[in-house]
Amino acid sequence: MVEPHHDHDHDHEGHDHPHAEIAEAGRPGYYDIMETAVRELLIERKMIRADEIRRQIEVIDSRTPALGAKVVARAWVDPRFKARLLANGRTACEELGISFYDDTELIVLENTPEVHNLIVCTLCSCYPRPVLGLPPDWYKLKPYRARAVSEPRAVLAEFGTEISQDVEIRVSDSTAMVRYLVLPMRPDGTDSYSEQQLADLVTRDAMIGVIPVQLQGE
Amino acid sequence: MTDTQHLVSRLPNDIGGLPSETVQRIDHELEPWEKRCHALADVLDFHKIINTEEKRCGVEALGSEMVGKLSYYERWIVAFANILFRKGILTPTELALKMKEVEERWSHVGNDS
Amino acid sequence: MPDKAMGDPGFGVVLATGEAPVFQPGDRVRILVRAPIGHYRVPTYLRGKQGSIEAVIEPPAVDNEEEGFGRNAGSKRHYYRVAIPMTEVWADYVGSPRDGLRIEIFETWLERM
Repeated sequence: MVEPHHDHDHDHEGHDHPHAEIAEAGRPGYYDIMETAVRELLIERKMIRADEIRRQIEVIDSRTPALGAKVVARAWVDPRFKARLLANGRTACEELGISFYDDTELIVLENTPEVHNLIVCTLCSCYPRPVLGLPPDWYKLKPYRARAVSEPRAVLAEFGTEISQDVEIRVSDSTAMVRYLVLPMRPDGTDSYSEQQLADLVTRDAMIGVIPVQLQGE
Repeated sequence: MTDTQHLVSRLPNDIGGLPSETVQRIDHELEPWEKRCHALADVLDFHKIINTEEKRCGVEALGSEMVGKLSYYERWIVAFANILFRKGILTPTELALKMKEVEERWSHVGNDS
Repeated sequence: MPDKAMGDPGFGVVLATGEAPVFQPGDRVRILVRAPIGHYRVPTYLRGKQGSIEAVIEPPAVDNEEEGFGRNAGSKRHYYRVAIPMTEVWADYVGSPRDGLRIEIFETWLERM
């Protein structure tokens, strides 16, 4: 997986990284304390329960791009599943046991030699969390959100992805109840791959649509 | 420039199409409190104490300076506090006292500088 | 498709206002120019732009601008997946003329052309 490490040298808008104060002297920072205080007050008032928070942390931890990769690999090997997935992303994922705890719908966008899909949320950070987990920071920051809808080809080039002018680019801006998952093209030379080997090729960024799926070492 | 209308009519999160820099592929592992904050947001939505759309609205209401300078989950927790005050679920004093109590649990750790 | 709007023939079901989608795939629409304050989910860059309905999103839902202020239930309408050419949105768009934008828009934000 391409997972660039967080780089403290970048001065980026929104400061979507933990502030340095957190770890200093082992004491929690201001916002950490605020979170604990709000949560404990709501638990004391019996509006929420501590076990609900613990459970939801487990839910969040269980959702990673590996789930999306399984969905993609299944679609590559099973044309009937793929047809159901494209017809209704949510119910097809539910067939595989992936629940939609956040009450969203899912549209799966198929990349083909003619069409390349890209997903973004210009207003906030809508993302297919049930199947991909939480979005990376760059997805939530201004450069990607501002530019993906106005100069998608330039943004893709910054990810090293060059899309030919004969290929139509479709940018889906998620704003309401629908989340999107890109179904990337299956790479050539994978005819002998097992479903699991195929899933291992599929990265988070390919399911956002910023890079293609490539053979390892390519 | 005396025209302030855009400050009201264009929310600070509404940035689609604005000029911006090159995308840097930044990411970080969530801090434990950030993950708890995310779980809290989900649970508040499940109970419709604060639904997801109210959370977004609460973040927007922080204004452009806070939206620009606070980190993602910092914006969320401050928005939650404001919404809970507005709904009469918590009072500002209750939260201040509880924050002091939480902070004092750590008073034995490190120094106070 | 007025027949659909009347529910399944034979059962005599009459749908409530808003339950049946007003637009159908292929309909040409314009996103209204409107400037709500406080909370909105139609980004500024798409106001006044023309496109076509690609799909009706099911199920119908509460208007998310109202959800932002705590309305969790009540009358519902449809969102539509709307297709808009990039060249319609950006006069100086660089890319293929076939490149396009897709977005969900709530029914009350659309007018038929």
